[in-house]
Parts: sequence; structure tokens; C-alpha cells
Amino acid sequence: MISTIFKRLGVALATVFGASIFAFILLRKIPGDPARAIAGDAATDDAIAALRKSMGLDDNLFVQYGNYMGSLLRGDFGFSYSTGNSVGSLLAQRLPATIELGLLSVIIAIVAAVLAASIAVYSRRRWPDRLLRIASSLAMGSPPFWIALLALLVLSIQLGIFPGPEGRLSPGTLRPPNVTGMFTVDALLAGQWGTFANAGWHLILPATIIALGPFAFLSRLYRNQLRGTLRETFVTVAQSHGLRRFPVYSRHVAPHGLLALLPAASLLFADLLAGSLLVEKVFGWPGIGSMTADAIIQKDFAVVQAVLLLAAILYVVVSLVADLIMTAADPRTRVGAR
Amino acid sequence: MSHTNALPFPSRSMARDGIPDQAPVLSVNGLTTSFYTASGTVHAVRDVSFDLYKRQRLAIVGESGSGKSALAMSLVGLVPPPGRIVGGSVKLGGTELVGLDDAGISKIRGRDIGLVFQDPMAALDPLKTIGTQFVETIRVHQDVSAKVARRMACELLAEVGVNDPGRRIADYPHQYSGGMRQRVLIAMAIANDPAVVIADEPTTALDVTTQAQVLDLLAKICDERGNALVMITHNLGIVEELCDSVNVMYAGRFVESSSTRSLFGAPAHPYSKALLDCVIDPATAKRGALPAIPGSPPDLSVDEPGCPFVSRCPIGRDELRCATERPEARTLAGGAVVRCHFASDTPGDAA
Repeated sequence: MISTIFKRLGVALATVFGASIFAFILLRKIPGDPARAIAGDAATDDAIAALRKSMGLDDNLFVQYGNYMGSLLRGDFGFSYSTGNSVGSLLAQRLPATIELGLLSVIIAIVAAVLAASIAVYSRRRWPDRLLRIASSLAMGSPPFWIALLALLVLSIQLGIFPGPEGRLSPGTLRPPNVTGMFTVDALLAGQWGTFANAGWHLILPATIIALGPFAFLSRLYRNQLRGTLRETFVTVAQSHGLRRFPVYSRHVAPHGLLALLPAASLLFADLLAGSLLVEKVFGWPGIGSMTADAIIQKDFAVVQAVLLLAAILYVVVSLVADLIMTAADPRTRVGAR
Repeated sequence: MSHTNALPFPSRSMARDGIPDQAPVLSVNGLTTSFYTASGTVHAVRDVSFDLYKRQRLAIVGESGSGKSALAMSLVGLVPPPGRIVGGSVKLGGTELVGLDDAGISKIRGRDIGLVFQDPMAALDPLKTIGTQFVETIRVHQDVSAKVARRMACELLAEVGVNDPGRRIADYPHQYSGGMRQRVLIAMAIANDPAVVIADEPTTALDVTTQAQVLDLLAKICDERGNALVMITHNLGIVEELCDSVNVMYAGRFVESSSTRSLFGAPAHPYSKALLDCVIDPATAKRGALPAIPGSPPDLSVDEPGCPFVSRCPIGRDELRCATERPEARTLAGGAVVRCHFASDTPGDAA
């Protein structure tokens, strides 16, 4: 078990390292000059050359990467030219907003997928299953930013059910004291019910929209897993012992579905980050996604690199944890079992 | 013998073979099960009738695809979709099982009818311990605490030959061998003391060396507890050793029903005879081609007018009657019930 964990950790580190190299080289090879982007169109060639030198852009790639890794190991993520802040402070400021949004999306996606697929499979009628198939096709096929725009137009502006693209709180709402940086959690901790409701209100629409793609994927996967398990002999055997439909389902079918859902859900974290990029932008959400979208347009290397690295770490950690849970949850893979 | 719908039921005539005249525990009448697939309706079980008495060991034999398993599943309402029971009746004591809802039939399954399945490797939930599944099986029907149920499970596991059941009960299915799993499944099937045990090819998936052990166990348990046993198999050796009466199934129908002694001594239906000819006796077997029945079982989605065995039958092949007129069940002088126009009353004269 211990050696398995170390092996996995080694692979995880290699993955993160590979991602950092990939991001580094890719960003430097795409066309466009970051110095030009920062200095603006009016800057003289001399000024730009000086800026390139000070940014270290004239060094060869190896030297640049060495410098980058060196400062990274000291905890320095670099400097964001487009905002004039250190990337570290930007991340600290914006990360909680994205984590709050992302967590809620994950919860919505998993809960909705499990519920919808369970109903579709358990129901003796056919239409819930057909409805789920249509809904998941639509959710999978529509780009999240487009849905975000549509939802804003209809639900916020036309109908006024949800707040507009004004970020995490309505103007004038009391900000909760900073503990976790997640407004809903902090407001609960401080007992500020009004703020909690307001923060939650702002979260629901973007979180649901980000959750759509993962929901579509997870609900299909869970449905297929359940239907496959229903054909297993042990399900018939449990019935032959006198178990009724629901206990057979809840005790012998659903656990197998959930076991398959776990690794898939962990894969979706990457999707979630990508999905949040433009949705955050559309909703004016002050998180990592909108920051990254801006940074890509501005060719703000340091920011994009930091976010890519963060994404790689998140991805690796989540799949590692999912693997460990899987190993522990499935008696067949539990190492050391007799 | 009249060719009416009131069929002379084979097992009733079993009374002559030492089974006391008493009410059957299970009475099946005209049971018909079809599978409604996209490519057509498959008539897997057609008008099957038999009675099963206490302590009786009844075999149902036939080739793969003859409808044996569909029949077993029909008896307890577990026909998988797109299949369903189209007609007939399954009576347990005075209770009609066909048409019961989930709650009703669930009370019967496990408590009155126990099932043992073909593939013990797939028959247990891999995510749950033997103990969890066993306790669940007991507590579905018996109002006992989990602790008591666990103790009962241990006793049953010991009874079927699991060593150190107190420790083994906490193990997962993958920690048991195939033979051991089948023992566990037999123990579970009899945990609620059902009057009828249906074993659907219980040894087909097992090693030859463990097959005999599992069969002996099944026989011993049914003897000690007085259950009636329905043994579904394609292995005639099992039938001869274990069962007192046989129904030979072909294309969804019972083509011959008789006592084991009479079937093995003098098969009446040409199909029964062909089956027996395929049994290989290692002592006398010669090198070369293994005996086989020419042709293949008929397509069950076609309801042909004549005898379903006609194209493979050594005697019926040229007979117009066999191709056009379906043989009804008739009782021969020896007591066997047979569906063949030409099965002779003189034993052994069939072919």
C-alpha cells in the first residue's frame, strides 16, 4: 500500500513537471510579443527592446525556464504585467471565488446526475430515460458561455429572477469577514444570513451553467453503469433471495454505479476549470477563470503559467485521492486483502 | 390416450414409482414464456406442465437453448426483459405465483422456493462480504436480529462445508473459490427453509473435481430437509445419479417425462434416445468422432406446425405427419408421457 502511494506520488510529480514545461514552451511559441502587449501600440521599438530585456524574454528558453522554476521554488509565481500585481497575491485574492463556484458546480453536477440517472433507470416508464438522454445531449452539445449569455438575458435581465453579471455580491451588501474567502461559508460562520443568501443567489446561476457539461457526462455514465449492473447475475440472485426491487437497487446496484462515478468525477475537475473560464467572464465573477481569460488575451505569461500549473496540481491531486478512495472502497483492489 | 387439452401429467403418474399420493408442493400448468425481441418473438417455454412433490428430485434436461433456464426463471417470476410469462399457472400449495406483484412474489422467493444458479463466480455481490449478503438473505424473511442471523449463517456455512465459518463469513466473494462460492450460495438458498429448491445447472461452471462434491451436498441437504429438488441440467450423468424423474425438454416443450429408471432403460422419444447416445462412457469410448445429434435445435421464434425435432429425427424425417401435425402428449404403457407420433408402447422400440 505504502509503495503504491509513493509510486503514484512520483507519477504525480512527473505529471506536474511535464505540465509546467508544456505550458512554458507553448506560451512562448504562440505568435505575438508580450512586451508589445504591455507597452502598447504607441511604444517605441527601443522601449520595447528594453522591456523585453528586463522581462528576460531575450534569454534562451532553457535559461528562462531555469529562472522560472527557481523563483517558483521560492514561492514566487512571477509578476503580472497586465495588472501590476504579483501573481501570488492575485491568486490568493481570486482563488476562493473560483473554489466556491467550482465546489458548488461539482456538487450540483454529481447530485443532479445521480438523481436523474437513478430515476431514469429505476422508473418502469420509458419517458424519464428518454428525457435524460435528450437533456444530456443538449447539455453536452451547448457551449457553456453561450448558455451563460442566454441565461443572463432571459433569467436575469428579462425575468429578474437572478442577479445580473455583478460578481459575487449585490452592490452594498455587507462583505463577510475573511476566513476561507468563500463568501457563503464565511457568512455562515459570522451568522450573516443576509449576506449568505445574497452570495448563494449570485452563485446558483453560474454554478449550474458550469455544472451542465459534467452533469451530462456523469448522468450518462451513471445510467449506463446502473443498467449494466442490473444485468449482473448477483442482482438476480439477490432477487431470488426475496429482496424487493428497491433494496436490490439501493444495496446491490447503486454502490456499483457510485464506484464507477468516482474516477469519472475526478476527471471532470479539468473540464470544470475550462468551463469556468468564460462563464466567470460572462458573469463578472472575480475568480481565476476570468483572470485567466484576460491574461491569455494580454499574453500575461506569468499568470497563465501559474494557472496551468495550478490546474495540473489540482488534477493530479484529485485523481490521486480518487484512486486511493477507489482502492479502499473496492474490496477486490484493496491491497493486503487475504 | 385422448388428445385433449387435459394432459396426463407425468409427475402424477410418479405415484407408481414410490412417491406417495399427496398434494404436489408445486404445480405447473400450461406455462408459456416468450421473449419479445426486436428480431421477433422467441417462444422459449411452451405449454409446460408438471407436478412436484415433497422429497421428489425432478430433472429437466435438454440442450442449450431448449428453454430450461427460461423455465426455471418463469417459476419464480424472474424472467428477464424482454421476456415475460404469456400464459399458464404456477401454483405453490394454493397460491398462484403467475401475476403476483413484486411484493407478493418477493415473499415467495427464498422462503418457499430457493434458487441455485449456474455461475457462482458472478452470483455474489463483489462489494459486500459473505456475511452481509447472508444476513440480508435471512432477515428478508425472518424477524431476527443481525447478530442472530449471523449466527444462523455461520451454522449454515458449516453445514455446507465451509471451514472456520466464524472467520470466513467476514470474507469477500473473491476470497472464495468457485466451488466454495457455490456451497455458500446453496446455504443461502436453503437459509429460509424453502419447500422447493431449483438448481439451474449448478455445476456447469465448476471444475469437474468439485462438481461431484457440490451435487452430493445438494442431494444430502434435500434429503435431510425434505425439500423437493428441481435439477436443471444438460448432464445426463447427474440425472441418473441424483434424480428420480426426468423431463426431457426440446424447443421449449417437454417431449418426454418419465421416471429416471424408465428413461435410461428404455427412452421412448427419439430425442431422448439421441441424447442418451451422446453420453460418453470413458470405459468403452473409441477414438474418433464424438457422438452428436445431427443438425441444430430449431429457431424458437418460428412456431412450426409439425414436430420440432422432425429435421433431426432418425425416424420422422420422411414422415409427412411429423412435418405437419404437432404431436400431442400421450402416456405410454410404461408410464412415460411422450410427445411423438411414433414412440412405441414397446419400450426400447422407439427408433
